[in-house]
Amino acid sequence: MARMRFLCDTERCIDCSGCVIACKEGNHIPVGINRRRVITMKQGEPGEKSISVACMHCSDAPCIAVCPVDAIYQRDDGVVLVSKKTCIGCGYCFMACPFGAPQFPKGSVFGARGAMDKCTFCAGGPEENFSKEEKKLYGQNRIAEGKVPMCASMCATKALLAGDGDVVADVFRERVFNRGSGVNAWGWNKAYKKS
Amino acid sequence: MTNSLNDIRHTKSMIFIGSNATENHPVSMQHILHAKEVNNAPIIVVDPRFTKLAAKATEFVRVRPGSDCAFIMGLVNEVIANGWEDKEFIRTRVAGYQEMVEVAKHYTPEAVEDVTGIPAEQTRRVAKILAQNRPTSLTWCMGGTQHTIGSSITRAFCILQLVLGNMGKSGGGTNIFRGHDNVQGATDMCVLSHSLPGYYGLSDGAWKHWCRVWDVDYDYIVGRFPDKEWMGKKGFTLARWYEGVLAEEELETPSPVKALIQWGCGTNSNSQYNRVVKALNKLELLVIVDPFPTAAAALTKTDNVYLLPGASQYETSGSVTSTSRQFQWRFKVVDPVYDSKDDYEIMSLLVSKLGFADEFYKNIKEVPEDITREINKGTLTIGYNGQTPERIKKHMENWHTFDIEDLQAKGGPCDGDYYGMPWPCWTEEHPGTPILYDVSKPVAEGGLPFRNRFGLEKTYDSSGRTENQLAADGVYNPGSEVEGGYPEFKDVVPGTNWKTDLTQETLKTAIKRGMAPFGNARARCVVWNFPDQVPIHREPLHSPRPDLIEKYPTYEDQPNHYRVMTRYKSEQKPELVKEFPYVLTTGRMVEHMGGGAETRSSKYLSELQPEMYAEINPRLANNLGIRKDDMVVIESPEGSKIKVKAFITPRVDDKTIFLPYHFAGTLMGESYLKDYPEGHEPYVVGDPGNTVTNYGYDIITQIQATKDGLCKVTRA
Repeated sequence: MARMRFLCDTERCIDCSGCVIACKEGNHIPVGINRRRVITMKQGEPGEKSISVACMHCSDAPCIAVCPVDAIYQRDDGVVLVSKKTCIGCGYCFMACPFGAPQFPKGSVFGARGAMDKCTFCAGGPEENFSKEEKKLYGQNRIAEGKVPMCASMCATKALLAGDGDVVADVFRERVFNRGSGVNAWGWNKAYKKS
Repeated sequence: MTNSLNDIRHTKSMIFIGSNATENHPVSMQHILHAKEVNNAPIIVVDPRFTKLAAKATEFVRVRPGSDCAFIMGLVNEVIANGWEDKEFIRTRVAGYQEMVEVAKHYTPEAVEDVTGIPAEQTRRVAKILAQNRPTSLTWCMGGTQHTIGSSITRAFCILQLVLGNMGKSGGGTNIFRGHDNVQGATDMCVLSHSLPGYYGLSDGAWKHWCRVWDVDYDYIVGRFPDKEWMGKKGFTLARWYEGVLAEEELETPSPVKALIQWGCGTNSNSQYNRVVKALNKLELLVIVDPFPTAAAALTKTDNVYLLPGASQYETSGSVTSTSRQFQWRFKVVDPVYDSKDDYEIMSLLVSKLGFADEFYKNIKEVPEDITREINKGTLTIGYNGQTPERIKKHMENWHTFDIEDLQAKGGPCDGDYYGMPWPCWTEEHPGTPILYDVSKPVAEGGLPFRNRFGLEKTYDSSGRTENQLAADGVYNPGSEVEGGYPEFKDVVPGTNWKTDLTQETLKTAIKRGMAPFGNARARCVVWNFPDQVPIHREPLHSPRPDLIEKYPTYEDQPNHYRVMTRYKSEQKPELVKEFPYVLTTGRMVEHMGGGAETRSSKYLSELQPEMYAEINPRLANNLGIRKDDMVVIESPEGSKIKVKAFITPRVDDKTIFLPYHFAGTLMGESYLKDYPEGHEPYVVGDPGNTVTNYGYDIITQIQATKDGLCKVTRA
């Protein structure tokens, strides 16, 4: 079975936040909750790079391992989802996640955080597909409709790829091959200055 | 754009100057990055800021704001000095070349370094990159135009492309990106004060042409004016309309401006915003048509303001012209919500009330299709004839049949057409012209030579040399009856020319003979009707380099410059920099749009960019004692001030301050949110950047010079 994956091509990402807006508008996410965000490094300096990050739907996802109530689970296609009705808002998953993906609607220091929200790969949640309940709690279920997630579908430069991991890898491999012999190869600028 | 966004896929190198496509035209980046990745094309970004586009560049050139012309003429000079110019292209298709070369000689890499701050070595390197990687696609945007010498700067860009022989070729061209889906269409319809639609100008002949198109009596139109003489005179511009209201400067107008209709326009994109606000409050009538209440609505304290809720683009339909000169049809998604009405209905109600609906709608029974048909009928100058509503819709329905590489339909119902029938599309059989001035294709299949616009012969002032303005023998589109240059077509239908023959017999005859209706001529390097016949550098009015003012002085003051006195020489004060030591430049951010009325009313976009700021280099911030997140006051030489947050970043150098201009809703930190209609306040507000943009206007177009002013910065 296909394994869903995200890949953000930093050579292509232009920090336009189109993915962030697509995600928020498409799933009616409350202000303050960021299922996806764009991070920029070395802003304004040579070497500036941006990358769009959300839940990566990891294999051996650490969030699943630490969840004390087993609210988080992984589907056969690799998509990691949370049951908001089970989640107790303890925040362990946030501590465990290497990508900062889990989000909480309330955030005082000692108070309850509310049920965790994160990227669903636009695959809805544990409720029945296309049910009102699913839409209200998790947003769209585009995977069940046979579509890629909102973020990747809106990406202007096709930096953000989503879907069957093998296909994503093929697309990226072809790009890297096209770039490979040129100025982007490591060390070439230093070794063989063009002019 | 002479080429198209898609055609950039074929370029071998790109130079962006005064363009930040990553933020302003994100979708174009898929083609730009394709060329970079697949063709290994270098990307050269020339900008005062290390922009998000510079982050994708292979060569970043930091230029002092307002000195672009010197850099480009420096590249021209360097290309010629090394013998890299396209000699055959110049011999056969370029005019005034020798005269231009004499001027360009001044701009040696060292002279360029003095003016622009760009190291001489880098100018040499960039020239070599361009020479070795042809064709080059050259893109500029408002960073190239919003200067007192903006019209010279843009001409220098064109000259560089002519010298390199990059015009009329796939992968080459001058590709000026337009910001919305219909900015090119609005430009082509000349929503301007100095021309009737289709660049016809304001001559009697132009009025008579359009009267024939509209099917109204010429004398009737004359009767609508207080006096016939005003029909041929330029009006106030978008940049300085408020001077017509304030009447504090010397005006040349039958009456001050008393009423204003703002239709989808954010006033805070106007420079000298304090004066704009003053004028808004002096108007006897202000009508704002917009989906959102704009800053002007809240700032106007008089009660003569009418807010008409205009519908958005999703609630209406009609034809639009994209940056690549392509026609597309907007289909309506939903009916206008609540009390809003679409622009057609608002216009129709207004016209009926004013009492000239019969004349206005003579040819327009089916809206919006008949509007497009009237445009098809009259806009012969740029070949708006073949893009009928039926054809446009057919293209929209058959997107999948067009090739992403060359935009041509391969089979299917649009077989052979180029997507959107890029203008000129001379007849209903013509496929559109994907690349302007391309002599490799027959005219009937989308080829074109350069237009014969400026006579057959010219004796240049600077050299006394007389030159034939037509293309050399041997330059012609395949199938042309004349195998060389030829003048424009006229008198095919006696008494008319290709621009005024509404039967379109002239166009059809020309194409049948394999020739372009507008002739086959040379591109000019010398523009004898401009004050600078060959582009030269002139210092900005408010220059940070007083030592250069004497060497590169600005123009004489211009009385009656679009009806208002416009100061140049008397405004260029060398001592100004002592009190206002930093260069002020403005621009956009990807999250917001224009005056921001729409985007600041979107909660998600507001969340991403919630605050007005000024970009300040870390070194300058430390020197001025400004820390992260401090508020700073920016003051202009005109005495206006804004209070904004300091954004400390190396994007700008330590002599330059950058402001985005999308904000409004506060003045000097004081909120006027309470003055918005209840429930319609934007989510985020801030001081308008244009409050402090300086005085200064282009000599030809009067576009505001927002990119090269001076300012003072203090910690608030």
